Amino acid sequence: MELVIAIFIGLLYACGVYLLLRRSIVKLILGVFVISNATNLIIFLSGGVTRSGVSFIGSEAEKASLETMTDPLPQALILTAIVIGLGIAAYILALKYKYFETTGTHDLDQLSKTDQK
Amino acid sequence: MITALPVFLPLAFMIFALLFRHYHGREYIAVAASGLNVLLSVFLVFKVHQTGMISVQMGDWPAPYGITLIADRFSALMVLVASIVFMAAMAYSVHSLDTRRKSFGFYMFSFGILMGVNGSFLAGDIFNLYVWFEVMLMASFILMSHGGDRNQLEGSIKYLILNLISSFLFVAGIGLLYGKLGTLNMADIAQKLMNFGTMPSELNPAFILIFVGFAIKGALVPFFFWLPASYHTPPPVVTALFAGLLTKVGIYSLIRFYTLFFHQNAEFWQPLVLLVAVLSMVIGVITATSQFEFRKVLSFHIISQVGYVVMGLGFFTVAGLAGAIFFLAHNMISKTNAFLVAGYVHKQKGTLDLKTLGDFYKQHPLWAVFFFISAFSLAGLPPLSGFIGKYLLIKAGIEAEYTIIALIALFVGFFTLFSMVKIWMEVFWKKTPENEEITIKKEQNEIPENVRWMTWASGAMALIIVLAGVFATPVVDYCTQAAQSLINPEEYINFVLKGQ
Repeated sequence: MELVIAIFIGLLYACGVYLLLRRSIVKLILGVFVISNATNLIIFLSGGVTRSGVSFIGSEAEKASLETMTDPLPQALILTAIVIGLGIAAYILALKYKYFETTGTHDLDQLSKTDQK
Repeated sequence: MITALPVFLPLAFMIFALLFRHYHGREYIAVAASGLNVLLSVFLVFKVHQTGMISVQMGDWPAPYGITLIADRFSALMVLVASIVFMAAMAYSVHSLDTRRKSFGFYMFSFGILMGVNGSFLAGDIFNLYVWFEVMLMASFILMSHGGDRNQLEGSIKYLILNLISSFLFVAGIGLLYGKLGTLNMADIAQKLMNFGTMPSELNPAFILIFVGFAIKGALVPFFFWLPASYHTPPPVVTALFAGLLTKVGIYSLIRFYTLFFHQNAEFWQPLVLLVAVLSMVIGVITATSQFEFRKVLSFHIISQVGYVVMGLGFFTVAGLAGAIFFLAHNMISKTNAFLVAGYVHKQKGTLDLKTLGDFYKQHPLWAVFFFISAFSLAGLPPLSGFIGKYLLIKAGIEAEYTIIALIALFVGFFTLFSMVKIWMEVFWKKTPENEEITIKKEQNEIPENVRWMTWASGAMALIIVLAGVFATPVVDYCTQAAQSLINPEEYINFVLKGQ
């Protein structure tokens, strides 16, 4: 299972980098989202993926033993990372909207007005 | 508890700031709150200087499990310098920023930056450090695009994307590191690495990712491109705040990680860090000489000056680290003040293009003096603080037998002087070109005519630069003590894990 997720993370990074290299700002932003989620999966994977019962709660029979249970901390970390990612996603979309409103373009190459000629 | 207050004070202000968004005295409340923050930081430095280190465990969970906030001499000094820079920027904004930006939460988000910066300086847990980085970045994204000018939006897209990528790399590194070691507490990680003896090679990917994350945040070559592309777009006071605080947090974290973790695999990391430092110094200073915009020249210089700090770190001797700490503190103040002067020029002339400016010395001699002090402190002229910083670093380099690198650093100093003289000649000395007509933009009319608070802020910073150069001995002693505790991580580890 770890191997499958690891390959999937790799694919997500590849997609994300491909999107980052496109000229359209919308695709660039989508690339950022994809990479952000791939990163969350890395944290998820760092706790290990094992099939066992519920951690900490429930009756003795249902509960996972300490040896076989998945480390719960990374899942708490991902929650934080997802919330941060959500906030950034909202901000970046608002920024893109405002930029489009001001300039009427999606083209990254138009982003050179402030550069020195 | 004093350790957590530099984080809580800005948070309290941010909550409070929602109430007086349209109140006319909001500027003065912000200046007062930042003054309180300076007093708090002075108290923190005083406390830390007595005992060496103080820490607090959030929620009273014991060390490797709970979140640690820890202040040692290095982080306390950084908190103090950041609070001074911040207060200067707040005071400066009173008469330099338009009412529209002020009433749409400029002060609230500025304190968000302060909270993130103070949190990063005090964090003792790597995931917590990431969260503070995000707090700081979110606030800085908003300030960068705050006001919505076309130029600002352009700059903030570049700034946003590259900084987000650095955050992702950093947090991916944290994930990999946690997967291998099962801990997030910095002292605990350092302890585990020491128990290994030689560092296992599985940890290298995680550390490389973290290093690249910090290098992007700290604008080191070859990861610096976001900085000169965005720093000249927002209002000058925002640039001054960013230049003083943001890249320096990346470098602070790099120093912390290098001394605790990376140096345990010194044969790999030391040459790499020195190489990056030399490249940053040389490339930053050479690209700066070709620029013709006031703030762009200064932005490229940030890269070069960050290189000096990393060079001191790469020497990894007590003298080198002490020089790096001193130089970092000096650079935060001098750089911010140079940007504050740029802001004044912008307010008076409406442009920062070096070719169209001139005669500024004749018209505003006091500000010419402020620029002279901060720019020539950056270039390293005695008796200003930059001279002490460069002297300590180059001396440390020669003592550590990195003579060639020390010579490169000296050589880079000449180029720094060259571009500072260029700004001086173009803006302050030469006659205004006759056929160039300077028009002050209309939106500027919202900015108050008065300049009193700007003069006070910049003058106080210039005074600090001179005093730090003339009475450098106590500061250098303090930095040396800070460097001694950085170079022996056992002290830090024992303090966090065993409470001694």
